[in-house]
Amino acid sequence: MKPGFLLSMPYMAHLLLFFVYPVVFSLILVFHRWDVVTPMEFVGLKNFIRIFADEVFLQSIINTGIFLLLHIPLQIVLALFFATLLNEKIFARGFFRTLYFLPVVVSGVVVTILFQQLFSFETGLINQFLFMLGIDQVPWLVSEKWAMPSIAFMATWKNVGLYVILFMGGLQSIPSELYEAAELEGANSMQRFFHITLPMLNPTVVTVVVLSVIGGFSLFIEPYVMTGGGPMNSTLSAVLYIYNQAFNFGHMGYAATMGLFFAAIIFTVVKVQRKFVEAEVY
Amino acid sequence: MLNQIKNRISIHSYKASLFWLSGIFLVLILGCTIEKEERVEPEHNRKTITYWSSPNPQEYELAKQLVKEWNAQQDEVYVKLQALPAGQSSEEVLLSAMVAGTTPDVCSNIWPGITNDFIRANGLYALDSFDDYQEVMSERVPEDILESVKAADGHTYQVPWKTNPVMAQYNTKMFKEAGINEFPGTYSEFIEAASKITKDVNGDGRIDQWMGYRDIRPIWWQRYYDYYTSYINASGGKTLFTQGELTIDEKASSEVFRFYQQLYENGYFPQSTMQGNAFLHNRIAVEFTGPWNISFLQRTAPESLEYDFAPLPVPDGHEGEVYTYGDHKNIAIFSNTKYPQESWEFVKYLISKESDYRLLAFASQIPIRKELLTDPDFTEFFEENPDLAKFAQQAAFTRGVDSVRDFKEILDVVSRYYEKASVYGKMTPEEATRDMIAAIEVLREWNQ
Repeated sequence: MKPGFLLSMPYMAHLLLFFVYPVVFSLILVFHRWDVVTPMEFVGLKNFIRIFADEVFLQSIINTGIFLLLHIPLQIVLALFFATLLNEKIFARGFFRTLYFLPVVVSGVVVTILFQQLFSFETGLINQFLFMLGIDQVPWLVSEKWAMPSIAFMATWKNVGLYVILFMGGLQSIPSELYEAAELEGANSMQRFFHITLPMLNPTVVTVVVLSVIGGFSLFIEPYVMTGGGPMNSTLSAVLYIYNQAFNFGHMGYAATMGLFFAAIIFTVVKVQRKFVEAEVY
Repeated sequence: MLNQIKNRISIHSYKASLFWLSGIFLVLILGCTIEKEERVEPEHNRKTITYWSSPNPQEYELAKQLVKEWNAQQDEVYVKLQALPAGQSSEEVLLSAMVAGTTPDVCSNIWPGITNDFIRANGLYALDSFDDYQEVMSERVPEDILESVKAADGHTYQVPWKTNPVMAQYNTKMFKEAGINEFPGTYSEFIEAASKITKDVNGDGRIDQWMGYRDIRPIWWQRYYDYYTSYINASGGKTLFTQGELTIDEKASSEVFRFYQQLYENGYFPQSTMQGNAFLHNRIAVEFTGPWNISFLQRTAPESLEYDFAPLPVPDGHEGEVYTYGDHKNIAIFSNTKYPQESWEFVKYLISKESDYRLLAFASQIPIRKELLTDPDFTEFFEENPDLAKFAQQAAFTRGVDSVRDFKEILDVVSRYYEKASVYGKMTPEEATRDMIAAIEVLREWNQ
């Protein structure tokens, strides 16, 4: 046996066990009903028909879309803003860089429980502070209007540090001669930002947008811990709904069908995104 | 010389490798052989059965004592005890074990709502196939409860073991300060008491003391402690199904939705998610809970906290006994057991009067036993433990969950309408009941 083949065996085993097998198995599952305990039952296209009649699944897709629309622009703008600031020679730069990255390494569940308490309607610290200022309490997590924006804000706070690092890497790779030339031509800081920084950061922006979108589509811990999908399904993300169907209610076949459908949506969105966001730098 | 040394090392290495390989091979062969033979405890030469108990520390400690005594007395059967392995829930762990074929012989922490799934998978042993089953059961368990655990195929796969009736645990001091000397028995009395108790104690202009608290997240099992227990109560002891058919008492359901709607609408129950124990910290006056809280309060409550237990409030004009949800846990024998008769003997030992007494005294859990309060062997204990006596009195008027398919998903639907009607007041109680019934029917049709 060739040594090359032998060396690739661990990777092949990993690929077959953790990628190929689950994908093939889930493709089989979509045509079956299976509750893990009893034998699989072939149901043909019933799971697909159910998806189109399931209003809750549709709502969970819309909720995920709303989350993405709120979270991604907010995250990109904030990450770019902080990256630009932290790229300058400011006081205690190393300290601030660490500080912004800290939430990324803290457990998602811990952050979520913390924000659950901060956002509590009658007992939360934020509303207590607003009350002291004479402002009405905000139903952060107990109103259909506010719950998803609150979750989007929290997710941004948690993840922004990672994207700050990515943007800083991008900023540092921009040749300084470009800025020097622009300065000589009389460009002000805003012009330099929009005509040099932003176009030169395009590959990083594409990476950040794609990563954020994929991360956003997998929204789970925040609604699972904070709201359970409420109020009135307004924070029920597609992944949370799929999880509930599979592991709480034992509808493995239906969950696999929804998973396949959802994967197709992610694939399409990422494709479209790359087409519109990606551009040649030089 | 050098070559000789090399040869010796080589021969030595070869012999050593051969020795170790033979050793490993032997261990593997023996291991497989032992696994294939009947499981016999080598030291005692006895048949071994595996028993999974609840991982709850008190229950596990009790199980350890019982198993130790059994093993000391028995010559034929050895019981190997294990706490239910860690997982999100016992049901999830047992389902995984069933799929992997690693279920124990006996388990004493079976939630009746899951047994239907186990039965469909042929995972449980029919207990009525034992000759003395009827005699043992009719001596211990009330007839209606025994009937309620009968499966659709007419067999019985579980022994009703213990129940934890949900009651109202209340802060007597708060009630007295509000000028109320008795726990409110009806919905209107409860609402009136709530209006007096819910207030701003520290004078900062914000409410900081509430009548009660429930987790408002739409999580199916949370409904056991609000909608489901109150529905059993309001309907006079009915559950959602009768012989597998959905038979929700619409009037009772609407009354329950309205009761909680009033509590949330007026701010008597907060919509916040509270971390820590709000009852212990005097932030709420009432909690709907089970007897497990007695030992918790005995261990953790400050001396200044005065509390008592009472049946849940009923709708105005309610007649008859006050029923509640009893969090039943049953004992089952799994069908993969090699020793069904021996397992049954061990189950009989677990539900003996002496074991039941210890379950009560040691773990503060109420065994399902006929005439528990009047049995001379238990009366002295209840005189010394009046709080547990209240739960034991209530135990006679409890209902569990319906033994129907997809019960968790049905409670998920209930959760959605409870949230809509009661917590956020977005629909009337009557609309919520009507739409909930329709949604459950659609769900059952889909899952056919």
